[in-house]
Amino acid sequence: MAENVFSWLDERLGLKAIYDTILDRKVPKVNWWFTLGSASLFLGIMQGITGMLLSVYYVPTPDHAYDSITFIMTGVQFGWLIRGIHHWGASLLILTAFIHMLRVFFYGAYKYPREFTWITGVGLLISALGMGFTGYLLPWNQRSYWATTVGSEIAGTVPWVGDFILRTLRGGTNLSALTLSRFFSLHIWIFPAIILATVGTHLYLVIRLGISHIPDKDS
Amino acid sequence: MPSKYRSPVMDRRSFVKIVTASLGSMMAAIVGLPVIQYFISPALGKTGSDDWISLGSLDNFPFDLPTLFNFNITQVNGWERSSMSYGAFVLRKEGQDPIVFSDVCTHLSCRVNWDEENKEFHCPCHNAFFDANGEVVSGPPPRPLDQYEIRLDGDQLFIHLTEG
Amino acid sequence: MNEEQKQKYKQKYDQAKQNGVKFWPDIIYKDLLVSFAFFILLIGLAAFVGVAIEPKADPSDSTYVPRPEWYFLFLFEFLKFVPGKIEWMGTFVLPVIGVLVLFALPFLDRNPLRHWKNRLTGVSIMGVVVLGMVGLTIRSVITTPKNEEGFVANTPAGKMILGGELYGIYCVECHGPDGEGGVIAGVEGMEGVELKPISSRDEMYTRSDETLGAIIEYGQQDLGMPPFGLAYGGELKKSELDAMVFFMRYTWDDRAELPADAASAGAIPNLAENEIPSYEVHISKIIQRYCISCHRPGKENNNYLMGTYQEILTTGDNAANNLLAGDMTSYLIQAINGESIFDESGEEIIQQMPPTKLMKEEYISIFENWVLNGMPETAADAEVLTVEVTAEE
Repeated sequence: MAENVFSWLDERLGLKAIYDTILDRKVPKVNWWFTLGSASLFLGIMQGITGMLLSVYYVPTPDHAYDSITFIMTGVQFGWLIRGIHHWGASLLILTAFIHMLRVFFYGAYKYPREFTWITGVGLLISALGMGFTGYLLPWNQRSYWATTVGSEIAGTVPWVGDFILRTLRGGTNLSALTLSRFFSLHIWIFPAIILATVGTHLYLVIRLGISHIPDKDS
Repeated sequence: MPSKYRSPVMDRRSFVKIVTASLGSMMAAIVGLPVIQYFISPALGKTGSDDWISLGSLDNFPFDLPTLFNFNITQVNGWERSSMSYGAFVLRKEGQDPIVFSDVCTHLSCRVNWDEENKEFHCPCHNAFFDANGEVVSGPPPRPLDQYEIRLDGDQLFIHLTEG
Repeated sequence: MNEEQKQKYKQKYDQAKQNGVKFWPDIIYKDLLVSFAFFILLIGLAAFVGVAIEPKADPSDSTYVPRPEWYFLFLFEFLKFVPGKIEWMGTFVLPVIGVLVLFALPFLDRNPLRHWKNRLTGVSIMGVVVLGMVGLTIRSVITTPKNEEGFVANTPAGKMILGGELYGIYCVECHGPDGEGGVIAGVEGMEGVELKPISSRDEMYTRSDETLGAIIEYGQQDLGMPPFGLAYGGELKKSELDAMVFFMRYTWDDRAELPADAASAGAIPNLAENEIPSYEVHISKIIQRYCISCHRPGKENNNYLMGTYQEILTTGDNAANNLLAGDMTSYLIQAINGESIFDESGEEIIQQMPPTKLMKEEYISIFENWVLNGMPETAADAEVLTVEVTAEE
């Protein structure tokens, strides 16, 4: 029965071909540092799942943001778990992605033919930092409010166009409901869309080119 | 792999398969089960209300004319307080205890109005009619209008509001 | 890289693949183990460390020391070293250059060799940068002053406790411990002014939370009530004003219902039979409601401060006589029983306390009981005394 289902699906979806090209392929023998890429992917998926769940209760307005998060933490069963994972996952993700980058650098894996993989990787790291910056404001507490005030002020020091950037970032001169809702939009739609596309490219390249091998002394 | 490390019970591939499957399902369960609770949490808590609402003195309500009484109840949903509006038709008859109808149509919860000309309750949503005693005259409602339990304290009228 | 070098690399890579392993199961297996370890770590952090509770954003409270997420700290710290005039170099030019260099790394580094021993320059530059980032992060953690970890009241019980404390400090000297008002005594500039009660049904039914909050925040200058909101020259943050209004509403408004655990939070505990009162459990709570409003720094109070156990025992112009263990002529006991105290020349040095209206009988007797038993500080100290008494019997 199971075999029949599988062959029916395989005939239409080409599962075997996928298995052969993605899973059943030879790669160089590597060490444990090479696991951090997929660890970042795993943490990213966890962020996606817990983020979607948080948006079930979270309300992105200055009136409700803080109370809705207090409600998630105290009024919803396992809300503390979902928020806790999202909170700590963000830090861990940045850390693993950064160490992953250092590993790639140390083994010279950004060189031919993986230059473009590296570029997408740097893009992902920057986007992750963007996620961190926008997500930091969402709880609308003292810490997030003042950190974002200063953070956006930094953008305001750019010569000539600084004030313009500042007002674009904040949606006005001061932090307000407009700031919160545009940060929310960036955090749950715009950055995730960019990240999804970039992760797709990154993974395609990793599979197409194979993971790099550990260089020997002559190379 | 040298043969002396080979397990007699299973080969490496099936071992990895088992570990992968079990770790994977463990993670899915650790996150998945709380997620169900997380979602249904608001449905589990104490809901609705159980209160006696004062409608004031009976003298406010004329005989033989269903009279609408509106009242608001404050409810806390999550962190937000909101005021819910309720309506009750009080019908007094000489020598009988008053009857208090809910103004919620038993079909799909629209609000009914009293049509004095035809002496009927009319629900505008699906054109349903109830007579002055709350019985269905025509239209889709499955049962007569609901009645509130009442209590009389001297000439003060109270109704029992239970929800959820 | 020229064609020859590319070919050479491909050859080497193919060889490595030949000697390599299968993506499934070998690589996936390792990846899975590491991901699982991260998963356990995450659950552990969420369950045992949790997320710190912060007060709600308050634009009027600029005392808060802003601090970005930890992975931006290095940049934050770096800016301390950039002179103000060329600040934009540090905030804009250098970060942009850094990012661009990172993006362009494969094109900047034309060296075809990959082993770190053959790329010492590049590896050392990266090493220095990373060490610098780590160092700046550590430095930032050490040098940035900690924010006052005040009590964050975001539960009903927490709001009752905080609100009650603040009410005791800021309001009681004029409005009385129960909001009963009356003729003010002993308050500079308000002496003899009569206040109507603020806890009456009328008051509670006709003023919304917003109104109460606004009155406390802006004050009513014409009536002598000063503003308490930070933005208007007072000392209270938004969250503290909220807690105070919450306390008033749920203590005085007979329509407001509060869960039992929250309602009893912060209330002055009753003395159980044979229980000896202690500073920690009973006295501090009574003082919070009845005394602290005047007996804090900056008020006219014979320099008698009642903020801590030590202060109660050792401060004041009459510190030597204020509290004497087992002695009912202690000044404090006499004053709360409504007796004035005179010095040798017959001048009144202490009036009755509280000056407007004596405390409830039961609170006075708690004080007396406490002094008779030698003024124990903690519940444990009092417990020891209780045991001794029963042992003697």
